Amino acid sequence: MPPPTIAFDAMGGEFAPTEIVRGAARLSLETDLDIILVGDAPRLAALLGGMRHNAERIALHHAPQWIRPEENAAEALDAKPDGSLLQAARLVASGQADALVTAGPTRALLLACDRTMRLLPGTEKAALAAVFPTELRRGEKDDPFSLVLDVGASLEASGADLVRFALMGASYARVISKNPVPRVALLSGGAELEWEHPAILAAHAHLERLAGIEYLGRIEGHLIPRGTADVVVTSGTVGAVVMRMLEGMAQTVLDLARYAYHERLSWRLGFTMVAGALQQLKRLTDWEEYGGAPLLGFDRVVIRADPRSGARAIANAGKVAAKAVAHQVPGAIADRLHLHAFGEGFERGRAAEG
Amino acid sequence: MEVRHVYRWDLDKTYLRTDFDTLRGLLRAAREKASAKVNVAGSRALVRALQERPGARVAIISGSPRQMRRKLEEKFRLDGVEIDELVLKPNVENIVRGRFRAIRDQVGYKLPALLEGRSRVPSTASETLFGDDAEADAFVYSLYADIVEHRISAAQLSPILELCGVYDDDAERALRFASNLPMGPPIERIFIHLDGYSPPARFEAYGRRVVPIYNYFQAAILLLLDGHIGPGAIVRLAVELTQGYGYSLVSLANSFQDLVRRGLARAEDLGAIRLAFEAHAALIEKLRPASEVVQAFVDRLKMVSGMKPARVRDEAPIDYLAILGREGPPNTWRRRRRPKPRRRDLPF
Repeated sequence: MPPPTIAFDAMGGEFAPTEIVRGAARLSLETDLDIILVGDAPRLAALLGGMRHNAERIALHHAPQWIRPEENAAEALDAKPDGSLLQAARLVASGQADALVTAGPTRALLLACDRTMRLLPGTEKAALAAVFPTELRRGEKDDPFSLVLDVGASLEASGADLVRFALMGASYARVISKNPVPRVALLSGGAELEWEHPAILAAHAHLERLAGIEYLGRIEGHLIPRGTADVVVTSGTVGAVVMRMLEGMAQTVLDLARYAYHERLSWRLGFTMVAGALQQLKRLTDWEEYGGAPLLGFDRVVIRADPRSGARAIANAGKVAAKAVAHQVPGAIADRLHLHAFGEGFERGRAAEG
Repeated sequence: MEVRHVYRWDLDKTYLRTDFDTLRGLLRAAREKASAKVNVAGSRALVRALQERPGARVAIISGSPRQMRRKLEEKFRLDGVEIDELVLKPNVENIVRGRFRAIRDQVGYKLPALLEGRSRVPSTASETLFGDDAEADAFVYSLYADIVEHRISAAQLSPILELCGVYDDDAERALRFASNLPMGPPIERIFIHLDGYSPPARFEAYGRRVVPIYNYFQAAILLLLDGHIGPGAIVRLAVELTQGYGYSLVSLANSFQDLVRRGLARAEDLGAIRLAFEAHAALIEKLRPASEVVQAFVDRLKMVSGMKPARVRDEAPIDYLAILGREGPPNTWRRRRRPKPRRRDLPF
């Protein structure tokens, strides 16, 4: 089987195109993936010329326009039909590439996928996932992260949407982390049912009787870093807020440590003594190590890297994309959703008969 | 037949896949049988194609020790390649004479050897050179080319050799050959095989004559366009790369796109490749139907349509002293260390 072809939106991200090109160059030397860099080709070619890379594995696809984060996504996509993100999505949709990787704006990504790809049957909304490093490890691969979704693909989610997100996340965890029965939970504001959002209540009732996953029930935010659940399901707005807050807290801890390190000699000595352990912890919680997270629900593999991604994160996002292609993630999700829809129909039929 | 064109090849990492970066690799290269030596992908097919040209002469100048001559000659026999000249390095003599610097020295060994080789062919013979990015091939070959073309005088050469740390007797030999050399036609191209994936921009200082290539398919395209090899040769090379070395149609098409991006080939040059594939459809069938092969190339070209190729730099004389001032003596280029990681304020 030929290696997968990964299309990178080379112009998306805070450090694009330099870091995207560096990441792709790195990937071309470390793997046998075929890479297509979509963007301002003369600029990309000049950057590539100055770095070690394997030109046999990299093709450029010229896109003279690109979307900036401050632009209105829908208007920008209309105004820039040759934009790098849209072109990269087209390459994937047409089968010229197997997966799309971008560190560009979420909304624009969602719209670009919506315009070029198809939602899987049984899905009404795509969900953007994010990985969060956790205490507990899971699956055959001992993956030290849990999957949180949706973290910003849509503003609102109905109970049925949340159930589908749970199924999509569980399918992803099953094939990527080799976790046969992922533990799934709904992110909740608290234990009291009367204060719960109706969509969560509806999803909760549904998930409780769903086979094929281990549903843990509703969990609160503090349990995410503990790794209680392998898949944490929430609506886009809440997910985005939670993820940003968790990342911000991790950064604050590091900043405080940095401050303390400079403050007193005794503290500095203490930090130096535990440097090995702290380095291990940093490696484990380093988001660049995980590269990117999938946008689930479309019939193609789409990986979204953090907008702050550097070369290492981009290269790792490419590897995640290749893995998702190799394990046919959209197919696995489609199968699970199909099974679910069939079960639902069966249940409805039985209820009608009864 | 009179020699009309000389193809000078380096051996290790250019023709043969040799690991001389480690002691173990060096020992293995010295001990292994001729049949165990591995070619750089496509090198054998390309040399064989070049030899078919009337009046072609193939010369190899290698840093391998003279004691390996018999093994190397056997390897060429196994490859079906006829070598007209094989120059090897007198490493044992250098050690016996205490010339330890000469063991690593490239300029002091290769430049006089190249000039001596040049003195043995008619002054009208043109040349194409093949080297790699592991050591200082681009530097030595460019210097040689400038001497042949009389762009550098003996007086200009002397301080360059001094900065290179060349032994006095080697410098004297080089200067003697250089002074007596009749002016020849320009060295057409210097192909540098990017064995270590050096950034192509590293070679910009040497001008357009130096062509960094990722594989010999790229060299074959340019040699086809220059009229050195026939269409059958490029097809045979493509088939050898795909069937023997794990290349895919995509990697070949990417290689062509890379040449176009760097301004080394033009989009219209695809016409010559198309004709070659179509004329040898039976041969290329082993890979894919000719139309599919051509389509893969067309698709890759379409991706960069509308893109202006890299700007061709004005041909300025090469400033060897500036290169040496910037990068140090060539014998240090291979073992140059990577930059140290930046010190961080925290130990974690």
